[in-house]
Amino acid sequence: MCLSTKTKQQPEFRQVTVMVLISIFQFLSMLAVISKQEETSMNTVYVFLGYIVLEWIYMMFNVIITGKDYFELEAIAFFLSGIGLMVCATIGESYAIKQLICICLGLLTYLVLLLLIKDMRVVNALKYPAAIGSLLLLVVNLALAKVTNGARNWLELGPVSIQPSELVKVVFIFVGAVSLERLLSKKYLYLFIGYSLSCVGLLFLMRDFGTALIFFFTFIIIAYMRSGDVRTLFLICAGALMGAILIIYFKPYVANRFAAYRHVWENMDTNGYQQTRVLMYSASGGLFGLGVGEGKLRNVFAASTDLIFGMICEEMGLATGIAVLIAFACIGIFAIKAAKGSASSFYAIAAVASASLLIFQLSLNVFGVTDLLPLTGVTLPFISRGGSSIICSWGLLAYIRAAGAPFKLPAPDIAVSRKTRSRNGGVAV
Amino acid sequence: MRKTIKRASVVYVFILMILAGVGILISQFVTKGSSWATNKANAHIYSSGTVVNAGRILDRNGVVLAESKNDKRVFASGEVLRKSVLHLVGDTSGFISTGAHNLYRSQLSGYNLIDGIYRLKTSGKGSDVVLNIDSEANRIAYNAFGNYKGTIIVCNYKTAEVLCSISKPAYDVNNVPRDLQTNPNYEGVFLDKAVSGQYTPGSIMKLITAACAIENMPDVYDRTFTCDGEYKTTDGTVICNGVHGEITFGQALNQSCNCAFAQLTVELGANKLRATAEAMGFNKKLKAKEIPLTMSRFNPSTISNAELGWAGIGQSTTLINPSHFLSIIMAIANGGKGYAPDRILTMGTYGRLVPRKIDVMVNMNPETASALKSMMRSNVVDKYGDYKYPGLELCAKTGTAEIDGKTSTSVFAGFSQRSDLPLAVICFVEEAGWGSGVASSVSNTVLQYFANNYDF
Repeated sequence: MCLSTKTKQQPEFRQVTVMVLISIFQFLSMLAVISKQEETSMNTVYVFLGYIVLEWIYMMFNVIITGKDYFELEAIAFFLSGIGLMVCATIGESYAIKQLICICLGLLTYLVLLLLIKDMRVVNALKYPAAIGSLLLLVVNLALAKVTNGARNWLELGPVSIQPSELVKVVFIFVGAVSLERLLSKKYLYLFIGYSLSCVGLLFLMRDFGTALIFFFTFIIIAYMRSGDVRTLFLICAGALMGAILIIYFKPYVANRFAAYRHVWENMDTNGYQQTRVLMYSASGGLFGLGVGEGKLRNVFAASTDLIFGMICEEMGLATGIAVLIAFACIGIFAIKAAKGSASSFYAIAAVASASLLIFQLSLNVFGVTDLLPLTGVTLPFISRGGSSIICSWGLLAYIRAAGAPFKLPAPDIAVSRKTRSRNGGVAV
Repeated sequence: MRKTIKRASVVYVFILMILAGVGILISQFVTKGSSWATNKANAHIYSSGTVVNAGRILDRNGVVLAESKNDKRVFASGEVLRKSVLHLVGDTSGFISTGAHNLYRSQLSGYNLIDGIYRLKTSGKGSDVVLNIDSEANRIAYNAFGNYKGTIIVCNYKTAEVLCSISKPAYDVNNVPRDLQTNPNYEGVFLDKAVSGQYTPGSIMKLITAACAIENMPDVYDRTFTCDGEYKTTDGTVICNGVHGEITFGQALNQSCNCAFAQLTVELGANKLRATAEAMGFNKKLKAKEIPLTMSRFNPSTISNAELGWAGIGQSTTLINPSHFLSIIMAIANGGKGYAPDRILTMGTYGRLVPRKIDVMVNMNPETASALKSMMRSNVVDKYGDYKYPGLELCAKTGTAEIDGKTSTSVFAGFSQRSDLPLAVICFVEEAGWGSGVASSVSNTVLQYFANNYDF
């Protein structure tokens, strides 16, 4: 992050400083976690050390090969994922191992996506398969999934359960950005609207209201980025609002959740249960927390997924909770910077839509559990336990990075002294 | 393309929204964090709705009235002591809402914005609440009540410290009666009558009527009243407690003559009387520091003179709150400044460093206060007898509040004029019968304890 004031001539120094700070944070996290264990679990130690090593390897790889612009963006993601990893480690070593695997998958997704979208020809070639594939995934999800907590959004594949709607978020932005990249014809516009309606419709059928809302919001952002026509947006919003009112009217489940909004303390043991627990335990933690593993919120259902912000506040303090929020604000700033310097509007739209989606989902989660917004039951990007959410978060990050500093793997025949394409006067590698 | 890129600034809006959210979140933590953290569902402090971990509650001499040991709440030893401080300490479930366990749960939890409840979590102790109460005086007062119900409060009128306060009926927290909720003997047991009670005042209300007369009738000291046992108004009769013949204003208060005071009341009229009472805090929501008091009500009839007359002598629909009326007595004792009775000596993390602020609850014209003081002193010297309260130099007013269908309540309100014993007392003994004997003797017993053991 913006921790160092070192000059642009020494970016490695800045990177190393950030990496050292993050590593120290995570090493201390590890000590905090194992100090609470009756018998030190070596697996927990390996998970943390493995994660720190992974970060350093990536950083080296980053410096040498892919260019170090936007390194801070990745550092933020490592920082946030590390917090999630720590929370998982306090629940149990198996949770930590799973979470580490998910972070690796997320990082892999990030790298693969960066490679794929660096070439607009590949992007164009992928748009139909991606769109059709994602819709099929949702249909399969709807057909096979059982209802969990009121929503039908989990797909069990043997020992692994995934949440397809999370993965589709990444594809949705891809399809949106590519189909609106050029206003060649209205065909693409209609196709995208059709695709969006299908996605949102399928999510309604799954009763995954929170995710549907996120898709709708992302759709608006993409439409705005392309058209900028406020009147058109108003029409869309008005239509959607009417739809939403009907949904609330017809779906008591959703209406029920909204009923407790701003009245959680009167409904402490019914609809306000989760929010009130988050608030009381967050306040218990004060500014610096009660200590990792010392919280009581962890005994509440969905503590490490939907309510993880409360766990962070209770055990690590409000200061850490606010650091998480600020980290997302920083991601937003990087996205603006990246979009403004991007090579084509595909990258600009994708970067802005990704950052907006991340911030929107963060807000629904954090401000939902703290009763500033209605509770919708979405995850906290990068941090909440669960693979689909993490893979989605890292995937979205790829769009921001791609807009600002596209992957440039050096061709083997080019001399080492060639200057990288870096806007802040990059350094020879 | 350029336009599209420019529109990237829309993300700034979302960033601002995050920052706004952070701002709101922080401000809510600052303003509401304490009540959130001390919610009954917080498993750090409560276990199935009862307090398990919290700071100690002590009396002014360091006697531990409640503390936490091994995730359990432990109370003082001695059944009578526990009963006598029940309403001050409160139960662990918060049924007694004005008890320290409920009212000061945030301080007891040791909560503060920076540490949350970290101290409670690490030490299991939270921070202590030290009461102004002398628990031995409370025990003595409880015993003095015998089988009667009621309340007594003793307060230092110079410092506002509540030194003794009991409310009966009470029960033993270590041995909660099974029929607590059903037995009529325990009716209203969760109410602390000292702060949440409302009593028909009886003759102590004549102090308010006298104050109104002093302020509105310049010639009241020169007048005489004739009492032949009853005072007839246009629409009814006020009965007196005797036949006093021709008496002065001062003698009327000495004798507590209903005829004289009913006559004064009717002459003054409902509006002036109400104005005097409201200036002293009647019909207002008052707080004795953190404790909300039940309102004292005074609505003299503007239609019926007989009802007005009865209101002026403390009957009719008039109801007073013991703590509020005590503050009126303290105003008389203290040259017109009646402080809000304060039960707390210190509390919270920084309680020992910052002294408690003294609030004024009742303001009275100093001349009125001084006049009432000499009249109350005369009550004791010329009527009740100083010998009944040896060495106390009391100024007082007794009362007998008649309640339909019940035996009368015995009422005593007064203070010592000794500068080394600046104590005011108010005492209500329910169903104690005609006359003020019981309330007066309970008050004397408690004040004697302070006179013998304290050097103020």
